Amino acid sequence: MEPNRYRAGHLESAISFCLLALLFILAVGVVVKQADYDMSRFGIYIEKTGAGEFSVMRVSAFVPAGFETLSRTEIYIPGNLYEKINGKAPLYIESGFEKLYTQRFVSKGNDSLWMELFVYDMANVKNAFSVYSVQKRADVELLPNMLFAYQTANSLYFVHGRFYIEIVGSAETPELYKAMTDIARKFISDVAIDKAMQIEELTLFPRENLVTGSSKLYLRSTFGFEGLNNTFVARYILDGHIITAFFSKRSDGQDAQKVAKNYYNFLIENGGRAKPIANEDLRRLQIKVVDFYGTTEFVFAIGPFVAGAHEAESQYSAERMAVMLINSLSKAVNND
Amino acid sequence: MTESNDKKIQRRQFLARVGKAGVSIAAAGFITCKLYDKQGPKAGVDIGSLVTLPDFSVPDKPGQVISIVKGASRVKAVNKAIELLGGIKRFINEGEAVAIKPNVAFASPPMLGATANPELVAEVVRLCYKAGARQVIVTDNPINDPSSCFKLSGIGKAASNAGAEVILPRPNLFKHTMLTRGKLIKNWPIFYGPFARADKLIGIAPIKHHHRAGASMSMKNWYGLLGGRRNIFHQDINTIIAELAMMVKPTLVILDATQVMMTNGPTGGSVKDLRWANTMIASCDMLAADAYGCTLLDLKVSDLPYLIKAQNAGAGTTDYESLKPIFATVS
Repeated sequence: MEPNRYRAGHLESAISFCLLALLFILAVGVVVKQADYDMSRFGIYIEKTGAGEFSVMRVSAFVPAGFETLSRTEIYIPGNLYEKINGKAPLYIESGFEKLYTQRFVSKGNDSLWMELFVYDMANVKNAFSVYSVQKRADVELLPNMLFAYQTANSLYFVHGRFYIEIVGSAETPELYKAMTDIARKFISDVAIDKAMQIEELTLFPRENLVTGSSKLYLRSTFGFEGLNNTFVARYILDGHIITAFFSKRSDGQDAQKVAKNYYNFLIENGGRAKPIANEDLRRLQIKVVDFYGTTEFVFAIGPFVAGAHEAESQYSAERMAVMLINSLSKAVNND
Repeated sequence: MTESNDKKIQRRQFLARVGKAGVSIAAAGFITCKLYDKQGPKAGVDIGSLVTLPDFSVPDKPGQVISIVKGASRVKAVNKAIELLGGIKRFINEGEAVAIKPNVAFASPPMLGATANPELVAEVVRLCYKAGARQVIVTDNPINDPSSCFKLSGIGKAASNAGAEVILPRPNLFKHTMLTRGKLIKNWPIFYGPFARADKLIGIAPIKHHHRAGASMSMKNWYGLLGGRRNIFHQDINTIIAELAMMVKPTLVILDATQVMMTNGPTGGSVKDLRWANTMIASCDMLAADAYGCTLLDLKVSDLPYLIKAQNAGAGTTDYESLKPIFATVS
């Protein structure tokens, strides 16, 4: 007769099933977690496509005629942007940088002719304009038919929606330059952006005597003062003198007054001397004037705007600038 | 079967199961004990395994500490600059191994001035061999991918063609170091291998604006010796540059100001960022070299806090004029 097999009791079976179920749940949890891991935290980059994302593959697809890719596409995030642009990384990171795609292309006929495409995803057009404008070289040739774009002998720089693009060549040759413009053209036609390329605030600068292409946006510390952020600046030539005009839209009139006062105090604390205003209208508006080591600084608040002139060579020209700014900003305040 | 037999069988099975379970637990416990690390992760590196960079400096010669040569030709200017300090044989003895550490930080073409000029590097290699060096190594731990940097900057090819051995960084060439008076360089990996077997060390760097530090010149050039996640030092950039000046005692530094990157440093990107200064500086005191060099960026010593920090730490002097620099011009 065969010995009886041992049969587990109900309690033992129940405990076993519970343990197995627990193990199963743990396994499912691990699988779920691993399937949706942010690999970028470990420096591993995964191509993503979808609304708001920019496909890695498309960067290499910008290869112009007569060229081929020289290296693989590189992708950088704030955590490792330093590994590409070193000390410049903070400038981008502090301006809302999200991702950088780079790609090198080399001429098929001459391997000494190569260029590198840098596509900075700055999250929005203002951020992109900011990094574009604060790094813009002086006395450059602005590109026609493009809002924010310029070239130098070996490179091309422009803004396209949320993207700031640089194309840097290894030499100054027509072949390279043509290839760069081909890339730019293709980028603009292929990469869809929000219609809002215009930066409304730039239209608030008076057009008269404005130096074309001189406007900049400082997202942080303007003129060395931390309290003056999100500030638009532009250069003017008045009566043969160069003046930098600036304004920043604050949350409300009270904040504008506060920032204006703080900036004035900052100038005085750093060696500036208060000066009287010659223009009576400006005097009535309680505009502050400071002589700062031989140049003139103006600062005032009008509605939610704090505005002024910076490093003006002549007080008379600075007062003219102030009047022009007040007229322009007043219209904006009245229209709001 | 009787009921007592059933119980015995059940008992036998129970004991067998307990036995098996016991063996499994014991095996698991044994493996656990073997893998168990009582001490936990070590906080640092054994003191015994820390290295110190050798002192590569040569004896002082008052009046021949720093030379400043004006001229558009890098080859002529560097030859003259070294000649004015006593010639290459003052620095390199026959049979010595020389390490040259140029700035190869970026995969950038030579014309952009973001890296050392390849022609200049090649000339210095040739000069070392002319003095009788048995071996010349050219090396750096770049910011970008090393192979691309050495290739696209032109330095790899130029150095090799001049007879140098180009050494790219590899993990086994890094060792930990501790700077005794340092605040930041503590148990930190440095690119050590190529320098351990060198008798002399020459640094070659361009003069560049630097967004974070203000300027990148001969002292900042030694950043390429740091390993690990060295970008964290950018948060205290002035201290780290000063500590690099304390850590590295080179034979000679060559500061190339033929073209100076005036803006958008350290990477630049446009020829518009550059200005021709047509100046070559050779110096046994890298602090003095940088103090003069910053004037070519339209800066003062006081604009670069790391210069004062390095001076206070005894790494040299910012008063380059007190060293009686030798000036010359080459056509």
